[in-house]
Amino acid sequence: MLKKQLTKITIMSLIIPKIKMNARIQFFVVTIFALFLFKTLNNTSSSFYFLISNEILIGISAASLYFVLIEWVHIKKINPLTLVMNIGILVAVIFFLIIFFSSTFAELSGFKISGQASFGIFPKIISFVYGYILLGTSIYIFLAFRELYFFKQKGNRSTYFNTMLVFIILSSFSSILPAEIIYVQDTFFIISIFLIIFNSLKISWIAFIVKKDKKNLLFLSIIIAILFVMNLAGNTKENAGSQIIFQFSPILNQFLKIILIYGSVYFSILFFTTLFHIPTAEAFDRKAQEVSSLQYFSKLITEVLDFADLISTISDIAYTINRADASWIAWKENSDLKLLGNKNIGFINAELITGTAKEAKINFDLSETIFFPLDNYLNKLQLSELFSVVTISPLRMHNEIKGYIFTAKRENSVLDEEDKNALDTFADYASVALENSHLFEESIIKERLEKELDVAREVQRKILPTKYPEYKQLDISSLFIPAFEVGGDYYDFFEIDNDNFGFVIADVSGKGISAAFIMAEVKGIFESLSKIIKSPKEILVKANEILQRTLDRKSFVSAAYGLIDLKNETLRISRAGHCPVLLIRNNYSENMRPTGLGLGLNFTDYFADTLEELKIDLKENDTIVLYTDGITEAKNKQLEDFGSIRFEKILVDNCYDNADLISNKVIKEVTLFSQNNPQHDDITLVILKWKQLIKNYGEKEWQNSALQLKK
Amino acid sequence: MAEFSTSTKEVGEISIIYLKGYLDAHTAPTLENTFSNLIEKGKYRTVVNFNELNYISSAGLGVFMAYIEKIRENNGDIKLSSMSEKVFNIFDLLGFPLLYEIYQTEEEAVNKFIESKSFEK
Repeated sequence: MLKKQLTKITIMSLIIPKIKMNARIQFFVVTIFALFLFKTLNNTSSSFYFLISNEILIGISAASLYFVLIEWVHIKKINPLTLVMNIGILVAVIFFLIIFFSSTFAELSGFKISGQASFGIFPKIISFVYGYILLGTSIYIFLAFRELYFFKQKGNRSTYFNTMLVFIILSSFSSILPAEIIYVQDTFFIISIFLIIFNSLKISWIAFIVKKDKKNLLFLSIIIAILFVMNLAGNTKENAGSQIIFQFSPILNQFLKIILIYGSVYFSILFFTTLFHIPTAEAFDRKAQEVSSLQYFSKLITEVLDFADLISTISDIAYTINRADASWIAWKENSDLKLLGNKNIGFINAELITGTAKEAKINFDLSETIFFPLDNYLNKLQLSELFSVVTISPLRMHNEIKGYIFTAKRENSVLDEEDKNALDTFADYASVALENSHLFEESIIKERLEKELDVAREVQRKILPTKYPEYKQLDISSLFIPAFEVGGDYYDFFEIDNDNFGFVIADVSGKGISAAFIMAEVKGIFESLSKIIKSPKEILVKANEILQRTLDRKSFVSAAYGLIDLKNETLRISRAGHCPVLLIRNNYSENMRPTGLGLGLNFTDYFADTLEELKIDLKENDTIVLYTDGITEAKNKQLEDFGSIRFEKILVDNCYDNADLISNKVIKEVTLFSQNNPQHDDITLVILKWKQLIKNYGEKEWQNSALQLKK
Repeated sequence: MAEFSTSTKEVGEISIIYLKGYLDAHTAPTLENTFSNLIEKGKYRTVVNFNELNYISSAGLGVFMAYIEKIRENNGDIKLSSMSEKVFNIFDLLGFPLLYEIYQTEEEAVNKFIESKSFEK
């Protein structure tokens, strides 16, 4: 506890031992007590030793008071105006004390002008208190001057001040020297005065005071200067009050005199300096405010990243820059301007003004802040609050205007070049900050998107079949290459029973996680429908009905469903908006393209009406190819499509190979074609080859062997 | 990746939307905005000119599905015109010709609106 209270103290520019504050106060109390005893108990005031010991005691007490006060003033961090007020109060106290003692007290105590200390204990105490109060106030005033001197002072100027302090002390002490060497006293005194005048000129702190306070200061400084001068004038040997001080300590008397001179000089100079500062005070205030708001804002750049917060902050600061009354931000969204963060202005008014400005400055392609007086538009505008002039500053990112800062002013005051420059600078800062926030948001979105895509890819991977059905008559191959942004491709095989094999291919519109979820649902729908319905058309009609519940209006699913009857060797197929199913037979490719709308495009009976079902008899080596547009729309660097012609040619050229080989061939060609152009959509390719079971008799056996020969 | 833009023109009560570039999942919101703006202003007779459209993805097609219901409820329509063969094929595969009127030229589509209006009277 104690350690905390005993803060270590170092006094600027004064090399004194690091004495703890408590110790200082204790020491001060001891000295004042000692001095009090000395003053009240001793009567032999005329002896030289008495004089010396008196001065030494007072000196020690004064010094200890000085070190107590210096710390106190320092800790308080009093602002200059308060210091001035303090000085004013103290000098007034001195003024009234001197008046009081000169008239009333002197009479009451029978104190004579001749100045003999032969009065009773009560007057002694009173004169001690009086003397000590003057000692304390003059030390405090001196310290206040010291604080004012160092306030907002650049560089180390303590040398001048300390020199002055030394000379003031020397001058004070020299007052007890014998009259023969009065020139020493005069020399110190003159040097002190000279240094006081010199140091009084260092009043740079008034520049940092706002205009209102400057006016107060002007008033205060003249009153205080007058008080100091009056006190100084009253401080003569004829005055009873001064006599008491002189008797209390000649050094204090001299010190007080110097302080009074200091005060008179300082406040006179302060008065005139303030007077000269007043005309420029407003400009200075403005500049200071601009600087501080710009500093504040550049700090914010690193702190605010949320776009909405940032807009609000920018708007908050904007109108303070040119001392306008309101501000808002018009942010470009597509071709419109969206109003954000309006401050001190209603949304309707802000919109009216923005609209008018936009109409008046047709293209609105500003390179710098413009002023837009509203005078000519006021009748048309019908504002509920009067605004007479607006500034518009463009917010630019990458040389593109992203929005505008608007500030509006009620009074029709002239906005000058300074305002314009300040707003321009501010708009630049704001643009950088907005850009940062934009980039930050973008990176968050990107990260989230990537996570989403990971999930989507995982869903897709789990949905697609991992093994092929085992039918002797079918050679099956399937291939799926996902795009970076999951494309929503889906295919599946259904071993319905020994004689029936169903298959489906589908492509969900859109990409990413939403497509992956629809895909999962589509899988569920086909998986269950394939078990209860055989007809491909009916399955698609039913699937459409079920999907109505989940698909939003702009999503749809293209699908093709096929059913192979292994016993009767037939294929039935229906198509709901999907790519045609290809049948490669006898070196010829046929597009099986029964009509049908995509799932989710229509939920009325019309859907079933337009859906066709195709039925074909399967022949040996028939190759059925299911695919999604990821293959035909694969693009090369020139953005040309791979196309169906190229695709079908490969299929025909390789139609006697097994399904896997054909699939490999296709992918190889697609890869070669697209070079390194990134794949934008999922690629799905499913190949089913029909192999007739070799029978011991009949025509088909002959065909088979013939085909094998051909191979 | 690719650029996409729309512009609109008013011919009497009919709005014509010109599409340019690549219409996919990323650029679809631009077209969505165009449609919402028209609907907000109560403009339900729309012709979409595909002349300068290079590519349309499934997400792009979805935009037309998103607004057709609302537009037709208000006795309006979206008519499509001037498609390249490639773009038409994409529409055709999905069966869009069964749902939308698709014309060779913008004039044909506009005239169709004018005709139907005179019938109403």
